[in-house]
Amino acid sequence: MVELKDVSVTYSSGVDALEHVNLKINDGDFAFVVGASGAGKSTLIKLLLKEIDATSGTVIVNGYQLGTLRKNKIPELRRTIGIVFQDFRLISSMTVYENIAFVLRVIDSPPKLIRKRVPYVMSLVGLQEKAHAYPHELSGGEMQRVAIARALVNDPKLIIADEPTGNIDPELSYEIVELLRTINMQGTTVLMVTHEHELVKRFGGRIINITDGQVVFDEIMEGTDYEI
Amino acid sequence: MKFSGIRYLAEQGMENIAKNRMMAFASFCVLLVSLLLVGSSVLAYENISSMVGGVEAQNEIIVYMNEDVSEELLSETEMLIKNIPNITQVQFCSKEEEYLALKERMAEYDVLFDALGDDNPLVDSFRIKIADITQMNKTIAQIQQIENIMRINAPYEFVSFLTQLRTILTWVMGALISAMIIVSMVIISNTTKTSVYARREEIQIMKYVGATDAFIRVPFFIEGMITGFLAGCGALVVTWLVYDALVKMIENQVTLLNIIGIGSIIEFDTIYVNTALAYVLGGALIGAVGSAFSTRRYINV
Repeated sequence: MVELKDVSVTYSSGVDALEHVNLKINDGDFAFVVGASGAGKSTLIKLLLKEIDATSGTVIVNGYQLGTLRKNKIPELRRTIGIVFQDFRLISSMTVYENIAFVLRVIDSPPKLIRKRVPYVMSLVGLQEKAHAYPHELSGGEMQRVAIARALVNDPKLIIADEPTGNIDPELSYEIVELLRTINMQGTTVLMVTHEHELVKRFGGRIINITDGQVVFDEIMEGTDYEI
Repeated sequence: MKFSGIRYLAEQGMENIAKNRMMAFASFCVLLVSLLLVGSSVLAYENISSMVGGVEAQNEIIVYMNEDVSEELLSETEMLIKNIPNITQVQFCSKEEEYLALKERMAEYDVLFDALGDDNPLVDSFRIKIADITQMNKTIAQIQQIENIMRINAPYEFVSFLTQLRTILTWVMGALISAMIIVSMVIISNTTKTSVYARREEIQIMKYVGATDAFIRVPFFIEGMITGFLAGCGALVVTWLVYDALVKMIENQVTLLNIIGIGSIIEFDTIYVNTALAYVLGGALIGAVGSAFSTRRYINV
């Protein structure tokens, strides 16, 4: 669950990135966050990952009160969140299997669990054949699926996808959103940040529009090609 | 942390060296050169110090006794001198032995000795060696407290020169070694920073998936430690070969050895263990700490 109560973020340069934002995303929700460049989408993600702190207001993510969360507890918070980046951010020196398994190693999972869980997640994203491939041997769509598998592998409560379709072909974009939808149907909350209106129109669902640091629209819309 | 986790981190550290071999090689070379710079400066200082010590050891104080001092008093005086701190060696020289030795040395002037007849113009004396020549004046003052002493001969000017030389050497070599250490630390820090910078994305990804700072640092720490250890081993081998060659070269220089004293050159065999420990432990420590510190900047995500 994500909850923002009257949250504002002002950078040291004086720029107001978010202003009095109120937002609640319940467990199991799927929401698109849309908005133009510089609207405050990235600031919202940084806030949820506790990369930055709110200037005022309250931020709660998966039960953690971020305003009072101590620095040494940040890894604990982040282990409840899966993050998918536009530029994939896979570790180039690791194979697909290692890129995914590495998340479980970070949380000190037993090797037996790693050997069981990683192939399962790879099969979910359809990459079981690519286990030993390196990122540079994959297509953009495949790399994003690895990133999704990595976000999914430790069974997080929330997945934040930051423009996950920004670097891949439109046809593959639909596949990625479908995949995120499937993950959401299994109970994981998904927050997908995008500026691709076509994609949002097609899939529909909860759409949150941020403009000039403010939530100007937050409603559920029917998709043109997708039943909510 | 479980054993499997520790093993994974250790393996990661070793794998990182293979995966980032160019950067690891650069770190190795920088560490090697830095260790050699500092190591050779220290060895040079130790040897120069030993040479000065060798020259110092060749100097002695001579204590001349009053005429006709009884054997009993001479023995007592010898005991009193031996009990003074800083005195390492006391050798009694009887006036008879000294007179014979003088006659041998000046055999061509036998006419002069004949003129003296049975008279021995010399007096009994003690040849004394001291441990710390900087304390010579204090030691002489203590000797002067003893009765029946006629005169004390000491190389005051030479000792003053040697003391000054040693002080200057200590400062110059100390400054040089300190400068070498600082330069080495700056180079090592920059090299490890470059190495860490090349993998900043990897560090950031680790942070995003919830890795603790320790989890991120440990492989870098192990990687730095192994690189440092290998650089230490390399520096030891290079030092050994070069040092041995230099010692052999100096040992052939008879004139030079006469000045500095045969035992003044420190043989590598006698400093092998200390040098090996300093290089290997120093290398591993600098490598490990340098790498772990350099991750700090990229860890705060």
